[in-house]
Amino acid sequence: MSINDNNLNKQETQKRILLATVLAFIFFIAYDFLYIQPQQEAADKRLIESKKEMAVKGDDANKAPETAVAVSEAQKNEAPAVKDIGSDAIISTVKTSQNIIEIDSLGRVAQVTLLGSQYITEDGDKIKLFESNQLRPLEVRFSDRKVNAQAFESTATASAKELDASSSKQTLTLTQKLNGTTVTKVLTFYPDGHYDVKVSATNSKDFFVTPGFRPNVLADMYADHGALLKLNDNTLTIVEDEDLDKTANFTGVKVVSAFDRYYATVLYNLGTSMSVTLMPDNESNPQIFIHAKDSIELSGYMGPKEYRTLNALNPELTDVIEYGWFTFLAKPMFIFLQYIHDMVGNWGWTIVVLTVLIKLILYPLSYKGMVSMQKLKDLSPKIKEIQEKYKGDSQKASMHMMELYKKHGANPMGGCLPILLQIPVFFAIYRVLLNAIELKGAEWILWINDLAEMDPYFVLPILMGATMFLQQKITPNTIQDEMQKKMFQYLPVIFTFFFLWFPAGLTLYWFVNNVFTVAQQYYINKLFEKQKSLKK
Amino acid sequence: MKRFAAFLIEFYQKFLSVFSYGSCRYYPTCSHYSKIQFEKNTFFKAIYFTITRLLKCNQLFDGGFDYPVIKFKPKNIAFKKIDIIYWYVPVKEKKDHYYIIKNRNWTNEHK
Repeated sequence: MSINDNNLNKQETQKRILLATVLAFIFFIAYDFLYIQPQQEAADKRLIESKKEMAVKGDDANKAPETAVAVSEAQKNEAPAVKDIGSDAIISTVKTSQNIIEIDSLGRVAQVTLLGSQYITEDGDKIKLFESNQLRPLEVRFSDRKVNAQAFESTATASAKELDASSSKQTLTLTQKLNGTTVTKVLTFYPDGHYDVKVSATNSKDFFVTPGFRPNVLADMYADHGALLKLNDNTLTIVEDEDLDKTANFTGVKVVSAFDRYYATVLYNLGTSMSVTLMPDNESNPQIFIHAKDSIELSGYMGPKEYRTLNALNPELTDVIEYGWFTFLAKPMFIFLQYIHDMVGNWGWTIVVLTVLIKLILYPLSYKGMVSMQKLKDLSPKIKEIQEKYKGDSQKASMHMMELYKKHGANPMGGCLPILLQIPVFFAIYRVLLNAIELKGAEWILWINDLAEMDPYFVLPILMGATMFLQQKITPNTIQDEMQKKMFQYLPVIFTFFFLWFPAGLTLYWFVNNVFTVAQQYYINKLFEKQKSLKK
Repeated sequence: MKRFAAFLIEFYQKFLSVFSYGSCRYYPTCSHYSKIQFEKNTFFKAIYFTITRLLKCNQLFDGGFDYPVIKFKPKNIAFKKIDIIYWYVPVKEKKDHYYIIKNRNWTNEHK
């Protein structure tokens, strides 16, 4: 390769790097403004439209999943003309220590209102989980068209109009008399907000029970929302909203969950496995139906996907909290963070402690590196010589540098592994910040009042960039190539840009990480200066 | 698969290596090493050697020169003028094993 070629190459590299940075930057902004926001708006619009539609049509939205035996082609078209009569009439209200559950006149869960003080909307109202026009939890549908149609017309009776299960468990019986069959739901509500349910029908025909459509508190593009099935072999099947084209059947299911970013409605039976059908609604969102005949016993939970709460009900249920494809690392990361949080009491400080721990583990490594870096300072005349000699050929220069290191038993490079290891740690924290409800609205100090959101005043990203700059200043530099040296100097600026819109918790992690690296380097620099002056 | 791996490495070298620039303790660097592995070795061997190389690329190891080694039996040798891309340098005391060293055009080096 000639010198000219090399110069050309360098210019090329410079252009590419600049281009890559600019492109990445534009991409993130454009993605947010052009994709996520319109999607959200469109989703809102659709919701309003579909609400209108529902009000006008009263179509065959209430049909049961079609099993091969139950429904023939001809039947398919005669949609039961069902109106959601009296669905707004509440026949029973149950209060637990966690939530208020309202039962409508068809014996379904109309709404769940969360009582915890942290579960409030931006306007300060208590969070309500469900949309009124969607499939409701504990709705029962029959394969038999006629019975099904009737099930949506006859009102159910409740054994109590009001129940207080906030200190001890309470039982509620819902009865719905249909032609030739009686549907009975025996519900036991527990103070912690979960419930057991036994649904039975007297006509020995197939019917379906549903956990309802997913809560719709926060369903955006940043985290998955849809339906989740946990099978007997502990594998998870996740169907995201708008992804279900046709009905799908599953057997050997332990847990079903319909979820948005932070909340879920769950039905489970860990003893006897369930058969489940996923049926798409008009927008290809999955609706979960559990097969039943004569009678079925299930347990249910409707509320926030809190690790502690679900773990207390049954450790198996913690799989309902999922962090996207990165769950395998994000989940252990969360459990570890929660462990620290128990001792520290604040999520911001928890992240600081985590950073310190990682630094401590890597300390022997970085210490070794810094020491050999200092050794090389004494070799700097020789390094300069090499740089002069092989100007314009960085590869050859680095080869000769390597020889020099070998001769003096020092190698200043940190290595690829420590840098690569940062990536999964970083990404795991990112997923935890996005998906764990425990970190939603988690405060740190001063202006940081939500670690899961970006820093509103861009203070942390700028501090992060500043510490990174400082770190570069204080660290002996071994980059020979002028061009790359320049690139290296711009890195803090590039990083600052990237971090502007990241969750504050993530920026905090990187910032603290930098601060400790600088402190470490400063300490070692001082140490060597002392040693040197002693020698003299 | 191999081409996909090579593509990923090239993408990394072009766009992402700024973030980790000047950290590799070896010559050739991990990414160059891996690229040659994927080009010259079988897929799974290349994966294995790449991972071990990455694991060794930290301050507990000395670093330095570490060329990819492959097992190879030369056959059908044609004696004609060719462009040399890689040199195969026999490994001492290990039959059929060769270091792979990228050929460089030295002619214009020291002007």
